[in-house]
Amino acid sequence: MLSFVLIILVSFVFTGIVIRTKSLASGRKGPGVFQPMKDILRLFKKGAVYSETTSIIFQIAPSIYFASIIMAILVLPFGHYKGIISFSYDFVFFAYVLAMGKFFNIISALDTGSSFEGMGASREALFSMLAEPAFFILMGSLALLTGHTSFQEIFMTFHFGSYTSYAIGTLATFVLIIICMIENSRMPIDDPKTHLELTMMHEVMILDNSGFDLGLILHGTNMKFALYGALIANLFMGNLPLYYSIPLFIFIQSLFAVVVGLLESFSARFRMSHNAQFILVLSSVSLLVFFSVLMVMGKFN
Amino acid sequence: MILIYIAASLLISGILFFNKVTIVRKILVLLFLLMQIIFTAYEFTHKGLTEFNFFKADALAILMLITLTIISIPALLHSYDYIYKEQDNRRARSIYYVAMIMLIMALSAAYLSSHIAVTWIFVELTTLSASALIFHRRNAGSIEATWKYIFVCSISLVFVFIGILFLSLALGDTNQETLHYETLIELAPNLNQFWLRLSFIFIFTGFTAKLGLVPMYTAGIDAKDKAPTPAAALFSSVLMNVGFVGVFRFYEIISHNPLHQWANHVIMISAFLSIFIATVYMLKVKNIKRMLAYSSIEHMGVIMLGLAAGGIGYYAAILHIILHSFAKSALFFQIGHIYKTYKTKNTYYIGNYFKYNISGAIFMLIAFICVTGMPPSGLFISEFYIFKALFQANYLYLLIPLLILLTFIFWALGRNFLKILFTPPVDFDESCIEKVNSYETLSQYILMGLVIYLGLNPPVFFNDLIQEAIKNLI
Amino acid sequence: MINILLIVFTMSLLFFAIGNRLMTYVKILALQGVLLFGIAFYGLIESNLATLIIILLETIIVKAIAIPLFLRYVIIKNNITREAEPYLPNFVSLIIVTLIIAATFMVSNVIHDIHNHKIYFVVALSALFSGLYFMSTRKKIITHVICYVLIENGVFILSLAVGKEMPMLVNLGVLFDVFVSVFLLGIFINKVGDVLQDTDVSQLSNLKD
Repeated sequence: MLSFVLIILVSFVFTGIVIRTKSLASGRKGPGVFQPMKDILRLFKKGAVYSETTSIIFQIAPSIYFASIIMAILVLPFGHYKGIISFSYDFVFFAYVLAMGKFFNIISALDTGSSFEGMGASREALFSMLAEPAFFILMGSLALLTGHTSFQEIFMTFHFGSYTSYAIGTLATFVLIIICMIENSRMPIDDPKTHLELTMMHEVMILDNSGFDLGLILHGTNMKFALYGALIANLFMGNLPLYYSIPLFIFIQSLFAVVVGLLESFSARFRMSHNAQFILVLSSVSLLVFFSVLMVMGKFN
Repeated sequence: MILIYIAASLLISGILFFNKVTIVRKILVLLFLLMQIIFTAYEFTHKGLTEFNFFKADALAILMLITLTIISIPALLHSYDYIYKEQDNRRARSIYYVAMIMLIMALSAAYLSSHIAVTWIFVELTTLSASALIFHRRNAGSIEATWKYIFVCSISLVFVFIGILFLSLALGDTNQETLHYETLIELAPNLNQFWLRLSFIFIFTGFTAKLGLVPMYTAGIDAKDKAPTPAAALFSSVLMNVGFVGVFRFYEIISHNPLHQWANHVIMISAFLSIFIATVYMLKVKNIKRMLAYSSIEHMGVIMLGLAAGGIGYYAAILHIILHSFAKSALFFQIGHIYKTYKTKNTYYIGNYFKYNISGAIFMLIAFICVTGMPPSGLFISEFYIFKALFQANYLYLLIPLLILLTFIFWALGRNFLKILFTPPVDFDESCIEKVNSYETLSQYILMGLVIYLGLNPPVFFNDLIQEAIKNLI
Repeated sequence: MINILLIVFTMSLLFFAIGNRLMTYVKILALQGVLLFGIAFYGLIESNLATLIIILLETIIVKAIAIPLFLRYVIIKNNITREAEPYLPNFVSLIIVTLIIAATFMVSNVIHDIHNHKIYFVVALSALFSGLYFMSTRKKIITHVICYVLIENGVFILSLAVGKEMPMLVNLGVLFDVFVSVFLLGIFINKVGDVLQDTDVSQLSNLKD
């Protein structure tokens, strides 16, 4: 319950911090941290316009997308406090509930019949597909290391204070940050500020959405950021008591937002053809994590 | 003495590098030659002496050192003749002499070193100085040859280094002392076989770049083709010997281990493939220098077969490598003269050599007889012993194809040599021919005379040295 | 701590596989120099002071500073184009390097008497083999030099795993040889550039039979 509330709260300001960091890094003052949220509230007040060629899929997809993210948040624990739902192998559930949301997003893009949206959808599908093995190898090695299979148990046991756990935690953080950037179509993969449809991925998919639906999708992105931030924070919180862990959580989330802002300010977007190999590096890195876990465990000797 | 020798060589090359006066250069080179001779004599009279903990004048080292000194005298003297006729600048000339002296110094030190890692260091030094020699002409061809040579040799030496690391793993506990060859031979029966196997593979592969066997032989061919002929004479004789010394010393270690038979087979496969490849290319190439380079590869293959066959093959291998050094370097010196006459290395445009240089032509005829291993050449004796060793060790299935391949090589060499001597060349302009003094052929006659003399009637001390060099082999 | 550094070293191989520019390669080499410094420091901290100082100087000054700066100088002086121009797409390189790492991991599990140093072995052998692989799939000759340094780094790690007792003299010799080879190769590239106007491997394939 705690994690749910905290993640929702953080999601309100996350993109604000990112945008603020980017403005400061480029020497501007920038909008306040609540500005993205105000934009989304403005969108919520509007009605939606649907094209005549679209079917019911297009109308329900944003809601399903949003709901899938909420579902994913439900399974996230907070330190040793369980999430609202918790069961063995819930990380599989986590990954595929997000994938389902993405799936609906993609078919709604196809539903519009626009060639741009189809193109964006295919790119997004490809990159998410490539990022998936990285996430599973990572979670698999964490599960192997701790011997547990649910988020809450993994994170509770993971934090046993030896330097290897910190090392693996650092590597895992690296992988998770990049996965998060891919899932949200951010900088090294995709530029959210781009103005040419041919080079867009995520933005071109949601060209036809408007009003309330658009608001849902935009806030979905904020929540996904907070979601991955929570995962990263969990790697380092472990068994800490609440009066340490809540400030730590907030701190890690803001740090994550600042890092995302800095990444976006100082890195250039890859050429589209380089994206695939960059994402595959993640799988290789998580394979390294897996090997080092095997070595720490003394398996294979 | 060895420290003085190394330091003095470095000093002489330092002065040579900055010197601009011709007469000083001549004096310095002669000084180095004198020192090389004195050093060799010193090591010869102080057999078994260990110096500075890393250098030992054992029989093999002394044999190789004497060979090196004998060959380096004509090599440096021919360089005068060779370099001054060429239109090159003073800078390139000093670099040439510096590289030559560094090469001879590094070779001497590598022969004498009694520690596997010290051998490695000096072999690496030979790569560097040899590449400066190949680069002497500074045209596109020599650049390519230099690049390939440095590159293949560097990679090979990395392999040797990895092999040394594995060897120290095979030892279990390592310290500085255990990597001496003598200690290694004592410890050999108890070495860990897995690591020793890996170590042998890596070290053997690495040294084949110098020795000129499959798989790393390629770099040496281009190097001998593009280097100035005095340098090429060194490359095809004493520089190959350094690879042989490296392999031989490791072979001594492994022959005391149960892996002896396995190592023999590895060497045999590599040697036989080398002879096969040399045959195939010798039937095909037109460039006379490259043909001789492939002939060297064939001889190295025969030597390694003798080493692997055992018995009298050990003696024959050492004899053969020394005689081959003399024969091949003498041939390369003569090729330098042929190149001077015809200005080409392609056999298509070379011919009727008897008409232009009688002493050189007679030498070529003798050299052909010697290098193909016909009597009265010493190479005939050693090759015969090697065949005998192969026969006695029941390698008949290897011996028969070997003899067939050697027949092919005989034919290929004969065709080209006889063409050079008797057939008139294609559109050759006789008017601008450069007269070669017959005294310049003298050194070749002496070297080839050594080949015949040492084979037919080896002096007692020479025989004793060879016997002592192989006493560690079972 | 050493394990972390070694894992980061392996990661640098992966990034080498997808690097597009020569400068990226040079930066990776510099990073590897720093990593080797860390590895050598933690690995050799108990051995005697003189060895430690020599090795640390070798890694930090030669491997992390001198060689990358020199390579950078060579690249700029010869106007070598910045793209690395591999024969195979980077995507394939990445998969192959990953396979190499996985394979060396499997192989080192088969070997039984290296329990203490297994991770060193995996990293060193993967660096060696990926170096050979990169060397054979890149077009420019400067990348061959870079890959040679990469292989040397792998061998350095291997030598840390095997012998902390390698004599000083040997270390000095190795250092000297690597130093000289790289500089000779670099100077040589300058010459190649002077004569051929293009430092590309395809220029160097005229000598054959």
